[in-house]
Amino acid sequence: MSDKLKPASILIFVALVLLAPSIQDALSKEAAKFVNDSESSHDGLPESWNESQVLCVLYPVDFPHEDYNSGVTMIQSDGSTLGVNDDYNGTGVCVGGFTGYTEGMTFFLDATNATGGSLSVDYDVKEWGPYVHTIGGVNHDNIAETFDGAYWNLDHNGEISMVGIGDLVMSEGDVLVWSITIY
Amino acid sequence: MSDLHNIALSPNQTILLNAAILILIATALYRAERKLDGNEPWIMLCILAIFAIAGRILLDPLPNIQPVTVVVLLTGIYYGAPRAFAVAGIVALATNFLVLGHGPWTLFQVVGWGSIGVAGALLSDRLLIDGKLNLNRLAVFAAVSGFVFNWIVSLSILMKTDPSMLIPYVLSGLTFDMFHAAGNILFVAWMAEPLGEMMLRHQTSPNQKAVSEVVTN
Repeated sequence: MSDKLKPASILIFVALVLLAPSIQDALSKEAAKFVNDSESSHDGLPESWNESQVLCVLYPVDFPHEDYNSGVTMIQSDGSTLGVNDDYNGTGVCVGGFTGYTEGMTFFLDATNATGGSLSVDYDVKEWGPYVHTIGGVNHDNIAETFDGAYWNLDHNGEISMVGIGDLVMSEGDVLVWSITIY
Repeated sequence: MSDLHNIALSPNQTILLNAAILILIATALYRAERKLDGNEPWIMLCILAIFAIAGRILLDPLPNIQPVTVVVLLTGIYYGAPRAFAVAGIVALATNFLVLGHGPWTLFQVVGWGSIGVAGALLSDRLLIDGKLNLNRLAVFAAVSGFVFNWIVSLSILMKTDPSMLIPYVLSGLTFDMFHAAGNILFVAWMAEPLGEMMLRHQTSPNQKAVSEVVTN
């Protein structure tokens, strides 16, 4: 009996390694159906963005972005600045007015590019996908020195994202928010 | 000051290096066990814990492949629930404090692995028949344990979010759970028999214990 178990165990493992990407893809799509289309995630954003996809990056008080250090700057997808919301919770930047994106990572990179270089992104590629450590020059490791640890947290329509940015499946009107979380 | 020890390794190099370290540790433990006369259950428990701790830390670069679940399961089968729970606890604590990060999830991992040890102890007469492991049953049980353990640990998100997020969270993690299950089957297929024989040599059966107590009295 155990003679069969040894080759079988390897077979199962190899099959899983080969199938894992497509299984994960299907599961991410399935999980995305549970993300609520919260309209309140558009609160405080320009009304013209209500139907469009938005990316926000919020900075901690002690580590503000050099350009967006007062209120939250609203930038249109073509790079033009719409205004600054001083009542928004935190300081940073939101880029909006996008439509048609389904892959979180593509949207993230395009939206940060739209600001003309002030939101440069750096990430490591881990076995399970991209791991974002720097947005707009703020690396979570620099902040972690003051605390036990810090990381870039990703919210999807107002809730903590269940998947990494590399597996995130988007629909129209989605709002993604990156913010530093300290522990 | 020179920084010659700080060599950046590629992921594949790290896995190879870690595998080499793990093989060295496992060989050392195997040889140490050979030198014992037998009937040393506590030394055997230490050997199991050291192997599980080293295995979990060194195999960390691989997604969810680690020997802890199978080691705790076997400990439950051979040594009973309390000792399996203790091994589960010390392995989770040691690995999390040393390398992988301690937090509220440590409690869930201790409970998760502990429960698998308890389940192994409860089902020991179905999995261990006349001193011989039923490997096929054990493989199925270990695969299921992989999923159950991960779901118990997933419950820790309830401290931060509401229950409605549990389903999408578990769904997104299913691939990760499958890797845990497949890894457990690998460990059962290749490791359970030799490890079981070792543990059997250091198993004080309840009957023997009763006899020795009578004699000393």
